Amino acid sequence: MLAAAFPSLIHGALVVGAVLFVLGLVGILTRRNLIVMFLSAELMLQGISVSLVAWSRYHGDFGGHALVVFVLTVAACEAAVALVFVLQAFARTGRLDSAAWQSLRDTEVPRRIDRELPATDTVAPVWPRLTPSGVEPAHDDSAEPSREHV
Amino acid sequence: MRSLLLVLVPLLPLLAGLVTVFAGRRLGPRVHLPAAVGIGAAAIAALFLLFTAGGAAGTGHDTAAPVEHTVDLWRWATIDGALTPADGSAPRPLSLGVTLRLDPLTATLLVVITSIGLLVAVYSIGYMHDDPDQPRFFALVSMFVFSMAMLVASSSFLLVYVFWEAVGACSYLLIGFWYRRPEAARAAKKAFLVNRVGDFGLAIAVFLLWLTYGTLDFHDTRLADGTLVPGILGAARLADPTAIVGGAIGTAICLLLLLAACGKSAQVPLHVWLPDAMEGPTPASALIHAATMVTAGVYLVTRCAPLFVAAPGALAVVALVGATTALVAGLIGTVQTDLKRVLAYSTISQLGYMFAALGTGTLGGFTAGIFHLVTHACFKALLFLGAGSVMHAMGGVIDMRRFGGLWTVMPVTRATFLVGALALAGVPPFAGFFSKDEILAALHSRGWPDAHASGHHDESPAAATPPAVRVATWDRRAAPPTIPVASGSAASHRAVAVSASGGAAAAGPLDWLAGPRLYRTLFWMSLFTAGLTAFYTFRAVFMTFTGPLRLPPEAHGHGAHGHDDHGPSHGGHGGHAGHGAAGHEPAGGHRTAVSHESPPVMTRPLVILAVASFLAGVVLFIGHGLARFLAATPSLAAANVAATAVPPVFHWDLAIQGTLAAAIGIALAAIGHYGRRSDGPSVERFLGPLQTLFARRFYFDEVEHAAVVRPLEWLAAVAATVDRVVIDGLVRSVAHVPVALGGVVRRFQGGVLQRYSLAGVVGVLGMLVALAWNLWL
Repeated sequence: MLAAAFPSLIHGALVVGAVLFVLGLVGILTRRNLIVMFLSAELMLQGISVSLVAWSRYHGDFGGHALVVFVLTVAACEAAVALVFVLQAFARTGRLDSAAWQSLRDTEVPRRIDRELPATDTVAPVWPRLTPSGVEPAHDDSAEPSREHV
Repeated sequence: MRSLLLVLVPLLPLLAGLVTVFAGRRLGPRVHLPAAVGIGAAAIAALFLLFTAGGAAGTGHDTAAPVEHTVDLWRWATIDGALTPADGSAPRPLSLGVTLRLDPLTATLLVVITSIGLLVAVYSIGYMHDDPDQPRFFALVSMFVFSMAMLVASSSFLLVYVFWEAVGACSYLLIGFWYRRPEAARAAKKAFLVNRVGDFGLAIAVFLLWLTYGTLDFHDTRLADGTLVPGILGAARLADPTAIVGGAIGTAICLLLLLAACGKSAQVPLHVWLPDAMEGPTPASALIHAATMVTAGVYLVTRCAPLFVAAPGALAVVALVGATTALVAGLIGTVQTDLKRVLAYSTISQLGYMFAALGTGTLGGFTAGIFHLVTHACFKALLFLGAGSVMHAMGGVIDMRRFGGLWTVMPVTRATFLVGALALAGVPPFAGFFSKDEILAALHSRGWPDAHASGHHDESPAAATPPAVRVATWDRRAAPPTIPVASGSAASHRAVAVSASGGAAAAGPLDWLAGPRLYRTLFWMSLFTAGLTAFYTFRAVFMTFTGPLRLPPEAHGHGAHGHDDHGPSHGGHGGHAGHGAAGHEPAGGHRTAVSHESPPVMTRPLVILAVASFLAGVVLFIGHGLARFLAATPSLAAANVAATAVPPVFHWDLAIQGTLAAAIGIALAAIGHYGRRSDGPSVERFLGPLQTLFARRFYFDEVEHAAVVRPLEWLAAVAATVDRVVIDGLVRSVAHVPVALGGVVRRFQGGVLQRYSLAGVVGVLGMLVALAWNLWL
């Protein structure tokens, strides 16, 4: 009923959702950076969520809202899992380029890279390491008797 | 008792073969035991059989009552209604029984096969003692003896065919025993393939016999309902000459049987495999040449004697092939330098003799053929084993130009070989003389019938009376029926309608051949061959044993090492036939190594065979014992065969002619080699261009290669090309369809994530379009 009074409101919301979705789709189809692709997928989800909320408001019930909350939860979990994969991929190859992962192709189809990335850094990166939890970190009392700041 | 013995004769070698196959390696150095014991026991059983088979026949009359004893072992297969007679009578079953038979012919051949087999097996103990594959050898020898015993003891054409093939397979395996040598493998293949040609003839002949006679059994069988099925060579049919199909069909059957016999018995033009069969071990050669393989053809023709007599044209062809083979092989034998090859060609030549005798189609001819088979088995086994002994001592060298003067070196071999040579040459009183004389007499009786006419025409009516036949079988021994000879028994059969128009009395297409003129020619050819035989045999004897002592270097490869132990276990050698003979230092101390005589296990069979070669002719000839004995064979007691009997007379004129031919041959050989080194100019020099012709074996191999092998190879090449291009092309074109489809689809699987995503998007869009289409259109 509210939406009947403000048809332009749902119209605008749906346009925003569609724009978000298409932006995400285009991002997934065109970008090779794994994190950007992942972000694009999130963008598509959010586009869907916006249109769900808009329809929910249009119909005046909370089904759409509930679904959106559910989608957010699932997306958070999925993001955690997907980031692990991305990190592992990066740890193996040292790059976030999805074109580096083309092994699963037919043996007679050549490897296809439309544009080569610039050469990677020659200096090996140093990655931060987490200390194991629950264990007191090794420290040298004499070398560093006091801490200036936390 | 008799049945049991008859079963034991083939069974014991079979068991010996199986034991050797399965336990051969475990027997170690006693691997020869099963074969020697099994074949030996079979030989004893065969000897007993010989006496029991003869016991019933000794009536003293020329045309004894036929003796036939059959043992039904089991029924192999029965096909009901296999043949529907055209006259509306009940359909006839094709009943294949495994039935053994005993008659004088079978008994004689069983004795020859098993006793020669035994001597060869014993000899092989010495000859093969260093061969690592002894189990295989003795197993094959046992199986060979088994196959051959079954071949002559089977009472059905189908079983004969089965064991015909088994003999061929065994010979293939024995000739190719040293299969790592390419020549041996090639010789084995050649023997097998040439024999296939003959086997093809036998197969067609068996089919024709089935269509013509409606049975494949030799013997008569009585069905459960009491009707009598006359066998092809059963008493009921043989008593009635009109029941045997002659004419075109009969001639065709006989010619096909002759083709088969030509293959196994190495007659022109299928003789080419036999000389090459020398590549096998020498004992195997002796077995093939003397006892087993080559006698199969002679046996087959003799067994089918009534069929051949009903087709005079085919008989003439048999005689012609035989005499031609004898002459051609004899001529080739005169220029061979390989001792074993000389013996091989002499085998072919002597087999030709046998076929010439069989081809006369008289009772005397058939018995003479078998007589010669028996004596030939003795002296040819002796000669081959002697040649093996020489080869054994010469370190595998068998070329007569490379050794000589072994007279003093190998006393036993020398003496026994000389006996064998005298027997082969036909010098009285050795075995070959008597059998050869019989053959010449048989040919003479056909060439000059008037000279032999007196005194036998009045006996033929007695022979034509149908003899009563005792048929005893395994399970019906209680009631040996005397089969009444049914005069119309053959008329109840479709194919005998053929015989009604072209029956025994009808003329066959080749009957014009059979005339006295042909047999006169063949007689003179055979007489000439007798001289040739003596010539080439003694040429080999002179080249090997006389003249100054010469040894090939292979013979004393061990002498240089100063070895003194020349026991039978001595002598290392590879996979070759020979065995480096042990040399020893003579007392004088000079280092001339001297070859030694073979061990006793090898020389004793030689001595036994030499005694047999000396005595067999006389013993079997006195009183025409063998001929009288064989005349009781149903095939030879058949009315139409028995009618050709002539009273046994010793023809002095023929004996003198044969002896003269032999003497001239020996004299020529002696003149050719007198006072010369045995590798020097020899008597065959004056032959000039003929020598090349003989040495190249009348170009038989070349002609057959060009006429048969080359076209077949060409045909095979065409077939291979068709197979490769057309057949394989079809199959491949079917396979090309999925490959092409896959080629289209596989390009989408590029491993590029964005493309996969795009494909998903396109799919979703397609689904949306389809949904919209369904909703609004």
